[in-house]
Amino acid sequence: MKTIKKIKIVVAGPFAAGKTQFINTVSEIKTVKTERRTQQPSEKSVKDYTTVAMDFGKIRIDDEHELYLFGTPGQFRFDFMWEILGEGALGIIILVDSTDPSTFHEARKIINFFQSRFPVPMVVGANKQDLPNAWSPRDVMIALDISEEEGIPVIPVSAIDKESVKKALLTLLEIVKSNLTS
Amino acid sequence: MALTGDLSTFNFVDIFQIIGRDKKSGILFVEWKDLTCAYYVKDGEFIFSRPVDKVYRVYADKDFDLLLNKLRMGPESLPRTVERFLISRLGMKEGIFSFTPGFIKYGSDYPVEYPIEHLIVLASRHLAPQEVQRKISDDMLLFERIPGTEEILSKAKINKFEERVLSLVNGNKTVFEIRQSAGLESLVVDRALYAFLALGLIRRKKKEVKPKQANITLELLTKIIERIKGL
Repeated sequence: MKTIKKIKIVVAGPFAAGKTQFINTVSEIKTVKTERRTQQPSEKSVKDYTTVAMDFGKIRIDDEHELYLFGTPGQFRFDFMWEILGEGALGIIILVDSTDPSTFHEARKIINFFQSRFPVPMVVGANKQDLPNAWSPRDVMIALDISEEEGIPVIPVSAIDKESVKKALLTLLEIVKSNLTS
Repeated sequence: MALTGDLSTFNFVDIFQIIGRDKKSGILFVEWKDLTCAYYVKDGEFIFSRPVDKVYRVYADKDFDLLLNKLRMGPESLPRTVERFLISRLGMKEGIFSFTPGFIKYGSDYPVEYPIEHLIVLASRHLAPQEVQRKISDDMLLFERIPGTEEILSKAKINKFEERVLSLVNGNKTVFEIRQSAGLESLVVDRALYAFLALGLIRRKKKEVKPKQANITLELLTKIIERIKGL
């Protein structure tokens, strides 16, 4: 029996940024979720269920390789999972809810967390661009204090749109490729 | 594309940063508990403020000079409105904001007594501990000065305490060490750092971490890229 080699991409971001949806949209298997009912009033008002350990989606590359997409829980109280999931990742996609500036500072802290522990390519997806009150990726970038020197592209994403999710993954993979060839 | 949010989670320093960085023009509305104000912004500068009873009425006046005529106001009196309806309210944390870019036609130049850089500094002096913690979140953070920012600094009009904090930012001292060396209250130091970040005077110093070489061959990576494209 052949051993399948696993390649991992991590999808992180604040609570309700759209991480589970992002993985759902491109995964070839039904996303494995670890959701529980939200307990805190501030979270209950946003959604009924939240990821507590991870989401898991998969894309078959060939007979020997599979691309795994791991979604992290959004809340800081689960940051021990971020540490576990980040290990060995090829790259990290940070999703931000572009319609909710109250989560931008949280997103920056998450970027700092992964930057300091896993020096791998990172892309920020300014998600929910399909909604009318979404902030532009440029404004999200300024709000997150992402400087040009950091080399983190901020791109528009709509996690319900397959082409948009593909584009985010491809942006990340192209950075990995350029690092590999430079 | 309007920028909307709540002042309790996205404060004035943050809003000014967004408006100032790209020199946006438009109108910022803030619905306070007691009144709604319209703030007129031209090329990233706040030039005029006024309370409004109905937001939609503001959209009826698309020509700024005609509006001033209608209000019987001369350009010289504009800065006073900024003082009265913006600066005096920078410490108020409860309000819903919405910035609508474009739509209003401005004439030539209008007096700017409070450049956006100075407004950032003034607003930062009202930040609460839980607000500064959003950006100055770790004692071990390292900041460095951004070169070529003299003009920003001169417009920001920082005070001697803030000057002292800025002088300590050198890419080697952590936030903890800056607080220790400054001999000031931690909150004063953190507010200053928050403002300097928003102004673009300082930035987080990138750790000298060698990028981790991906454990993957170029051939496999190319295959993954093609596979994703074909999904």
